[in-house]
Amino acid sequence: MHQARFKGRLIPFLFMAPTLAILVLFLYYPVFQTFKLSLYRVAFLGLRKKFIGFANFVDLFKSSAYLHTVLITLLIAGAIVVIGLSVSLAISVLANQKVRGARVYRLLLIWPYALSPAVAGVIWLFMFSPGFGIVNYLLSITVHIEPNWLGDPYLAVILIIVVSIWKNIGYNVVFYLAALQNVNADVLEAAAIDGAGPWRRFRSITFALLSPMTFFLLITNITYAFFDIFGTVDIMTKGGPIDGTNVMIYNLYRDGFQYYKTGFASAQSVILFVGVIILTIIQFRTSGKRVYYGGA
Amino acid sequence: MKRVLVLVMLGLLVFSGLVLAQQKPTEITFWHAFGGGRMHLIERMVEDFNYTHPTIHVTAEFKGSYRDTLNAAILAAQQGNAPDIVQIFEVGTQLGIDSGIFVPIQDLCVGNELHADDLIGGVADYYKVNGKYNSLPWNSSNPVLYYNKDIFRAAGLDPEKPPRTFEDMLAYSKQIVESGAAKNAISWPLHSWFFEQWMANMGEELVNNGNGRDARATESYLTGDGAKTILTWWKEMADKGYWAYSGKLEDWDGADAIFVSGQAAMEITSTSDVTQRQNDAAENGFELGTAYLPYPATTVGGRQLSGPEGVIVGGASIWITKDHPEAELQAAKTFVLWFTNTENAVRWHKATGYFPIRKSAVDVLNAEDWFQTNPAYKAAFDQLLNTKPSRATQGAFIGAFPQVRTIIEQAVEKVIAGKATVDEALAEAKKLADKAIQDYNASVE
Repeated sequence: MHQARFKGRLIPFLFMAPTLAILVLFLYYPVFQTFKLSLYRVAFLGLRKKFIGFANFVDLFKSSAYLHTVLITLLIAGAIVVIGLSVSLAISVLANQKVRGARVYRLLLIWPYALSPAVAGVIWLFMFSPGFGIVNYLLSITVHIEPNWLGDPYLAVILIIVVSIWKNIGYNVVFYLAALQNVNADVLEAAAIDGAGPWRRFRSITFALLSPMTFFLLITNITYAFFDIFGTVDIMTKGGPIDGTNVMIYNLYRDGFQYYKTGFASAQSVILFVGVIILTIIQFRTSGKRVYYGGA
Repeated sequence: MKRVLVLVMLGLLVFSGLVLAQQKPTEITFWHAFGGGRMHLIERMVEDFNYTHPTIHVTAEFKGSYRDTLNAAILAAQQGNAPDIVQIFEVGTQLGIDSGIFVPIQDLCVGNELHADDLIGGVADYYKVNGKYNSLPWNSSNPVLYYNKDIFRAAGLDPEKPPRTFEDMLAYSKQIVESGAAKNAISWPLHSWFFEQWMANMGEELVNNGNGRDARATESYLTGDGAKTILTWWKEMADKGYWAYSGKLEDWDGADAIFVSGQAAMEITSTSDVTQRQNDAAENGFELGTAYLPYPATTVGGRQLSGPEGVIVGGASIWITKDHPEAELQAAKTFVLWFTNTENAVRWHKATGYFPIRKSAVDVLNAEDWFQTNPAYKAAFDQLLNTKPSRATQGAFIGAFPQVRTIIEQAVEKVIAGKATVDEALAEAKKLADKAIQDYNASVE
């Protein structure tokens, strides 16, 4: 097959220039700045700074509070990704059935994704508010218990996980539904004729054919679970109670923008950045190899 | 011909530009942290100012929370684009001075323009740092006890005798909860502000070096007897189900909701909510009472308390940023002096419940019999007037105050959740707070 080629080396870069300019200005330069700031003690968001080497990192790794934050983050992120993807896949398979009003179901499933994290947070906050929320009202008149959802460290963690999963289900379902519609019905039918039951057909054919999508969603969900749950945490718990939901991204924000420790926050940002990069590399090296992209 | 026409047009354009430039008033921007009703009030006041001062045009902008406003101002100053006037919360005073982006209001004033002697005691004490006003006090408040007189009656309590001490509070709470008059006795937000106020109320300083006012603070007093007394009582109130909160830190709205909905008979919150709370009471059909912040009547570490020492002024003040042309600085000064003058202090007090910060404003209110006809405002104000001036009631100065606040709040959380004893939680809080204070000091020295 003949491949078209540009003459000269300059033209491709010319076409890429706008993109590169935006990337440099809004991505690479800030990243570079963050790395640099992580080596400074900064006062007043950068009005004054002093080079202190790796002292910020040493402080972080020596702090038991920060290690707690890292563990909480891994726990919450792990739960969001694993439970979130399983539930999304289950719902997608159900929504993919040929039933009456399937389009309506699908539309309704995608809805939560259209809400901003702030709006979603406020809605759930109202529902689970201990004093006047609908959930505690219903619980009190039926089973006579009124848990303090936001005041108990364990309940608050569960609540944050549930809300974050609910919020991202729409996104996952859209992609899974699209992938499910591409699963070749002939293959499923052939398997059925060969005597494969529904579970076997799902596991060996549907799930296998979905693997590229699952892999893609795994990466996006990890990013979501590490970074995008900030809004939910900020609105619902502010990292509390007793730092129970103080995930890394929220701790970073608090140090950087509430306590004005910009250098310290930059160091945390570097750790988060490196952590997510490592996770992604592991993904590509392990499960990435097992992804079946189809074809010969 | 065409060329002539173009020249004439250009000439006209330049000329009209010059005329416009001459008539153009000095533009002043004012960043504040008040949304909702207070924002509209500020906008109306600014409109009045612009109408009466044709050479100055002020634009007021709501920039989010106190912290957001300060962040935005510092970032803007870094880019050489600072707003002329910024509202900064009281605990940001040390930060404001250290940031070096502001000019002390006192340096801009000539003669007695500031009328500092007209400021009421507590307010003047708080904002005067080393004998100097860096900013102009504006919205000022205290914590005060609000209570639902109807629930008091239902519980068999005298609605005209609100609890005065920590001990009263336990007894009253018991009666309210056990009689079933309300589910909980009281609510206040889990906020370090109340802890700080109670410390002051027993005459205890929060940090060393004269509460950070004689010299930069280097150490906190969080393991003192005062701190222990507060937390022990707080825990008892929580354990017995007397105190209710939303479960979230610094959740003012949550505490309001618990009180206004009648779930709790009392609420401790800012005096700046008097107007709002009166409206709430009218809407929900209950009679509202206000009283002083309760204090511990017993001894604190062997020291007998004779009564409450008083409360610290909370709220915010107005700062002017430097690095502007002289004319702009003068225009900004003209505005802030007008904005906090007697007439506007009266207007601000009546519309919000924040204190009238000028003695002359108090005189005007007295002449109108305002406090007689509006007793809810009186308790709040009397409490401030009866405060005994000391380093404790003046309020602490800590650069790292925002972080120290969170540390204190987490200590309270741990004690209430039963994750740590009072002594353990306070010892840990002291360690963390001291480190935060020392880190901050290292970053500005």
